Amino acid sequence: MSSVYRLTLRQLTGRWRILIMTVLAAMPVAIALLMLQGSAPSVREFETFVLSAMLAGSIAPLVVLAIAAPAFANEIEDRTLANLVLAPIARSQIAVPKLLAAITIAAPFIAVSAFATSYVAFLGDMTATMAVTIGAVAGVAMYASAFIWLGLVTTQAIGFGLLYIVVWEGLFSGYVAGVRLLSIRHFSIALIHGLDERRFAFGNHPSFAVILVISVVVFGGFLWLSIRRLRQMDVP
Amino acid sequence: MSGAPVIRVDGVSRWFGSVVAVSDVTFDIAPGITGLLGPNGAGKTTLLRMMTGLAATSTGTVTMFGEPVRDNPPLYRRIGVMSEHETVYGFMTGRQFVRTMGRLRGVSDLEKAVDRAIDLVDLAHAQHRTMETYSRGMRQRIRLAGTLVHDPEVLLLDEPLNGADPLQRVHFKRLLLQLAAAGRTIVLSSHILEEVEELAETVLLIVNGKLAASGGFRAIRAALNQRPYHVRVICDAPRALAASVVRLGAVDAVHVDPDGAVVVLSRNVLDLQLELPRLAKSGGISLRRVEPLDDSLESVFGYLVER
Repeated sequence: MSSVYRLTLRQLTGRWRILIMTVLAAMPVAIALLMLQGSAPSVREFETFVLSAMLAGSIAPLVVLAIAAPAFANEIEDRTLANLVLAPIARSQIAVPKLLAAITIAAPFIAVSAFATSYVAFLGDMTATMAVTIGAVAGVAMYASAFIWLGLVTTQAIGFGLLYIVVWEGLFSGYVAGVRLLSIRHFSIALIHGLDERRFAFGNHPSFAVILVISVVVFGGFLWLSIRRLRQMDVP
Repeated sequence: MSGAPVIRVDGVSRWFGSVVAVSDVTFDIAPGITGLLGPNGAGKTTLLRMMTGLAATSTGTVTMFGEPVRDNPPLYRRIGVMSEHETVYGFMTGRQFVRTMGRLRGVSDLEKAVDRAIDLVDLAHAQHRTMETYSRGMRQRIRLAGTLVHDPEVLLLDEPLNGADPLQRVHFKRLLLQLAAAGRTIVLSSHILEEVEELAETVLLIVNGKLAASGGFRAIRAALNQRPYHVRVICDAPRALAASVVRLGAVDAVHVDPDGAVVVLSRNVLDLQLELPRLAKSGGISLRRVEPLDDSLESVFGYLVER
């Protein structure tokens, strides 16, 4: 299992990919600093524009898409996946380390970005800062699980992933109430609310326990789909 | 075929939409080298992928050591597969690649096994270079080392000699013969007749997704030799040569092309090759060129399928 993990880490840490992720991760911090230059935004405004729309709805999924989708998609395109699939190991021992490697790379970028952004915005309130950081990292895990699976089912994973981020998470989930029940962006925000109800005492979110279960189901569900796909697909 | 079958392919078909890639193929494979021979696009790779479990069958079953190969990872401890694709992890050194393959296959005493596999393919001198610097032939060899690192009982090799230079081919063939002599079961896919002839004791001839012939190579070669060939002869007296050639027993038909070439249809090319110069010499005819018109492998396979 560690071989697949190490192999994936090396595959996914190209110079350009890291540079793009660094730029993306720095954007919410810059926006938070800019917002503080004018009149101080309310928590609701900060959540709407920076945490929800930008960090959880755009930056986090984009960073994770760039990391997680190629984890399998590149192996399929390069026709090297057979090296792994022809090993006497369970398919879960291929999918799980691939997913963990994608999270290992993406999570620090988003965690640092979320931490710095909320630390600046909430003037050092560590409870709120940690709530945002944990919620963002949970979002990374869910997105990673979804995009790992996407990379296994289509060679156009980046294209479909972008479409999903822009149309589903960006457009529909912002304006169509029902879509929020199927939006990783909103699961992530609901987790933040649940972790610090004092600071984020607004909005209509399911209870923390419910959202925790949903997050685990999303994460585990896509992982299960990936393992199933590995077992059933024709490997090129 | 002697000995118990290691691999059993039973009524296997595979289609992609309306395209039938492999159609109702049945055969057994015993230890030794078996050649999977057929022209490009015949269905060899699809068949081999089903034999490795990488692709599902549409109908039929593939078993190895009595177990299904599809979705049966523990079986891969006993199997080594080298696909036709030459892509490698370019950022890895050859040794790292072989080590990774060994680790994934649960090899004990890993470093010793890596040394042995790299020595087998004669790449010790380049093992610490990244594979992106390797030539095509070197990539093939390091991939073979990765395939051999866990000392598998069965080897399935898809066009393994692609990109190898003549020296490497000799080395590779010797290695396969050694492995076969040690009791391994080796299936070697190729579209090159001579390549398979030099190595395989048994040949499975695949044409248009069907098993066109199987058995010892000599029997298949004899069948090939009996097929009718068109031979084009250019000489300074085509009509005189045609008149002489038509009397030969090995010749079925003769005609003279509008451009003056003699086209001979023969079922015994060997006899024709011997008789032509003799006839030309006795008739004072000067032969300028003798060329087979349909000596491509496709026509050979096509003939066997039509039989």
